[in-house]
Amino acid sequence: MSQSEMDRLVQMINQIAINNISAGDENAVAEMIAGHVQKFWSRRMKQMLGEYVEQGGEELHPAAKLAAQKLSAQAA
Amino acid sequence: MLQHFDPNKDYGTPASLSEKLVTLEIDGVEISVPEGTSVMRAAALADINIPKLCATDNLESFGSCRICAVQIEGRRGTPASCTTPAEAGMKVTTQNEKLAKLRRNIMELYISDHPLDCLTCPANGDCELQDMAGAVGLREVRYGFDGENHLDAPKDTSNPYFTFDASKCIVCSRCVRACSEVQGTFALTIDGRGFDSKVAAGQDEDFLDSECVSCGACVQACPTATLMENSVIEMGQPEHSVVTTCAYCGVGCSFKADMKGDQVVRMTPYKGGEANHGHSCVKGRFAFGYATHKDRIRAPMIRDSIDQPWKEVSWEEAIGFAARRLKEIQAEHGRESIGGITSSRCTNEETYLVQKLIRAGFGNNNTDTCARVCHSPTGYGLKQTLGESAGTQTFDSVMQSDCVLVIGANPTDAHPVFGSLMRRRLREGASLIVADPRHIDLLDTPHLNDSMHLPLRPGTNVALVNALAHVVVTEGLEDKEFIAKRCEGDAYSKWRDFISDERHSPEHMEAVTGVAAADIRQAARTYATAGNAAIYYGLGVTEHSQGSTMVMGIANLALATGNIGREGVGVNPLRGQNNVQGSCDMGSFPHELPGYQHVADPVARGRFEAVWGVEIDHEPGLRIPNMFDAAIAGQFRAMYVQGEDIAQSDPNTQHVEQALRALDCLIVQDIFLNETAKFAHVLLPGSTFLEKNGTFTNAERRINRVRKVMPPIAGKEDWEVTVELSNALGYPMDYSHPSEIMDEIASLTPSFKNVSYEKLEQEGSLQWPCNDEHPVGSPIMHVENFPIGDGKAHFAITEFVATTERSSRRYPLLLTTGRILSQYNVGAQTRRTDNQAWHDEDILEVHPYDAEERGIKDGDWLGISSRAGHTVLRALVSERMQPGVVYTTFHHPHSGANVITTDNSDWATNCPEYKVTAVQVEKVTQPSEWQKNFHDNHERQQSFLKEAAAAAAEAQ
Ligand code: SF4
Ligand code: SF4
Ligand code: SF4
Ligand code: FES
Repeated sequence: MSQSEMDRLVQMINQIAINNISAGDENAVAEMIAGHVQKFWSRRMKQMLGEYVEQGGEELHPAAKLAAQKLSAQAA
Repeated sequence: MLQHFDPNKDYGTPASLSEKLVTLEIDGVEISVPEGTSVMRAAALADINIPKLCATDNLESFGSCRICAVQIEGRRGTPASCTTPAEAGMKVTTQNEKLAKLRRNIMELYISDHPLDCLTCPANGDCELQDMAGAVGLREVRYGFDGENHLDAPKDTSNPYFTFDASKCIVCSRCVRACSEVQGTFALTIDGRGFDSKVAAGQDEDFLDSECVSCGACVQACPTATLMENSVIEMGQPEHSVVTTCAYCGVGCSFKADMKGDQVVRMTPYKGGEANHGHSCVKGRFAFGYATHKDRIRAPMIRDSIDQPWKEVSWEEAIGFAARRLKEIQAEHGRESIGGITSSRCTNEETYLVQKLIRAGFGNNNTDTCARVCHSPTGYGLKQTLGESAGTQTFDSVMQSDCVLVIGANPTDAHPVFGSLMRRRLREGASLIVADPRHIDLLDTPHLNDSMHLPLRPGTNVALVNALAHVVVTEGLEDKEFIAKRCEGDAYSKWRDFISDERHSPEHMEAVTGVAAADIRQAARTYATAGNAAIYYGLGVTEHSQGSTMVMGIANLALATGNIGREGVGVNPLRGQNNVQGSCDMGSFPHELPGYQHVADPVARGRFEAVWGVEIDHEPGLRIPNMFDAAIAGQFRAMYVQGEDIAQSDPNTQHVEQALRALDCLIVQDIFLNETAKFAHVLLPGSTFLEKNGTFTNAERRINRVRKVMPPIAGKEDWEVTVELSNALGYPMDYSHPSEIMDEIASLTPSFKNVSYEKLEQEGSLQWPCNDEHPVGSPIMHVENFPIGDGKAHFAITEFVATTERSSRRYPLLLTTGRILSQYNVGAQTRRTDNQAWHDEDILEVHPYDAEERGIKDGDWLGISSRAGHTVLRALVSERMQPGVVYTTFHHPHSGANVITTDNSDWATNCPEYKVTAVQVEKVTQPSEWQKNFHDNHERQQSFLKEAAAAAAEAQ
């Protein structure tokens, strides 16, 4: 994993969050983000996101963080 | 007998669309025709051919030559049959002594002022004047040839593709009418009167200097050799023709490739083509010379590193080398370390095979297509709202629109034949609303009725479409019945609450979009109350960080006003390249199998697995930008790229180049050494559309046949190369003709179920969905229900989020990019034709205000910098944009327009934000660093190519 690759993934998921901010409460927004990532991201991108959130996921938008946690829980 | 339509016959006047029939008698033959049909056309339908010169069936009749005179029982004189409507009970005589004499006299006058060089004339054998002289039995010219005449009139050879030889003109004005009625450019007029009258281009200029856009409609319409293709003058008349489909833009015009052996003499737009009805633009009609250009790659080549010269090898060796490298890399770095890119320029069958090779042969879903960088948001946005990733209408539907809303599209340049059709409807009185940062040519349509321009700031589309929808909802302009019946209720009420909020009002958004609130209100009212209102959009919608949101916003607007599901309305993405629709349909995206079936759907996947005999990965693969990132990270190591030039067309060139350099093996299949091929290890020669069989699907979902007219220059059609690569990799593919590939597609893709070459042969073309429910296809979509949820359309919430790419002190201007008529995309084809006469470099358009501030004049060299890079272009001071916005095209690789564009992209699909880049512009004296490097690398790679050719020649 390279830093720039991870930066890009964080940027991508945060952008998904911001663009769906009106989908409902934080949980609803997170559901929406998780669904999107599940549907469109590759296996490795999802894994990288999982590792990142495990390490704290600092740069993630709160709804994106919640989504990443949901995805990790699903995958487990 | 009713209408039978032979596209190869000229019926003299256009068909009448009336449903009421009238019955009349012509030369004793009884015939029923739609009311409003001319006597000439009625006769032609009964196979009675009345002589004609000024009439032709794609133009309104004019009645100037009088050679078509007939006699009608109970009427005086000899009326012109082309201007006389057929009436019930009429008895018409088309042949008798009196008429014959009259026609001979007319002919005699024409011929007395016509050079009698028939035997050496390029139109010999294809001249209506010659035919008519024969038909009326002209035997002598009593006036002699010594009277005052035009035989010395000069030729105009300024246009690179056709010649105007005024000495042969009979002033029938067919060319003038073709330019106005069909093309809508109004470049030609008849100057003067009587004997002095002559055809003039522009203000009596050369064709090239006039407004002429070189569409060829006048050449097509001319009954004599006055307007003639240079290729026919040089090569002579063709001896056979093959109907095929243009390989340039998403209009998908049908052409007759007029041939002499295996040489194309000319491309004649085909009247039977449902997308173009016999019209064309300069690209499809004239710019086909690239197919035989000296730069074509004629032999497979390989090399171990991109710093080495190429080595010409046999197909077998090249394919073997490629397969071995791919296998080695997978063995070392894993199954997911390789992938490929399909092309929107190749056929459906070829695209299908490439994604099949990747999914089944490579064993992963790392497939993507150049549609990623143009219309991927259309796929996402329309699927979310309407349930299908496709435009809803036929092109012809626009003829029933009362209001046309064009957003971020430039049809007269990028989709010219459709642009002409749209202009025709606008001349008939439909209202036009253009939402675009630039003043596009459509706004200058001659004889335009009611039009308005919403010149929004780049990057504020969603704010604008939300404001339009806000007006519709808060002013009670919704179509409540449609919404209740056709749309999902919950989503609608959520959306209604969202959009009614004051923050979306035009007044609130004015500061964001820069468009006056009153104008937005007026536009919304016009659109909502027109009756039939249609939206057409292009890359100005999709290529933004909110591209997908905007597509959904457009769908919302159409749904709220009930403008979906019938003629004259709809949501219409104008596709850039010929087969963007097809490449998306064929499963090029990493998450979708053909027919937009998700890889995670076990039922769909199961069907493919059964036919392909392999297990398919249920996780999506990498998108192009993720492939680049993974390549730089060392995780992604090899790529098979068919017919795409990612190094030129993708944003942030330096990043792309870094990624391509990082690959262990890049296999490029292309017709030229394109920019991407400069980074390749295997170069497989591609074939042009003239060299292969297959199908393209245009922007109206119309599947058209592509037919081979000449053998592939390097021996193989593109699909054959993919088959061989697959076999070499150990995944067997066995097809002997693209029709077999289409049969497989039909068996696996529900919306293509009834598509076959046989059916295409019968019907000419088919618009998908084409299945048991719609056995001959579906011109208009969503007539009864939507293919989503329980058949009801879904309103989507579309929050406006400003792009992070904004102007700042350092980069105070916004750069937006676009296209021009004569060049196509990265220009690989059109730059190798005489289209260069119109546009041989990309220039930067700057508003006078910004120019003055920087002391910029036309022609100055300008350095353009963004946070991604720096390049240099020449300046044109222009008022087409607002102050603060600069504009350029990216048809020429050394311009480096994409060195400037950033890797910002659409939140849902990663479609790059080409349309907004914050830049600074200043006068400079020399090319940029990147341009210098580009130049050096170009020279080096060209010499590698030459060395390969020299070595191969020596070995022989
Ligand atoms: S080529 Fe087209 S635009 Fe030019 S004069 Fe002829 S019809 Fe008009
Ligand atoms: S140029 Fe051709 S079409 Fe035009 S007026 Fe002369 S003969 Fe007719
Ligand atoms: S480029 Fe487009 S409009 Fe022009 S001829 Fe080809 S398909 Fe038609
Ligand atoms: S063809 Fe009818 S008047 Fe010329």
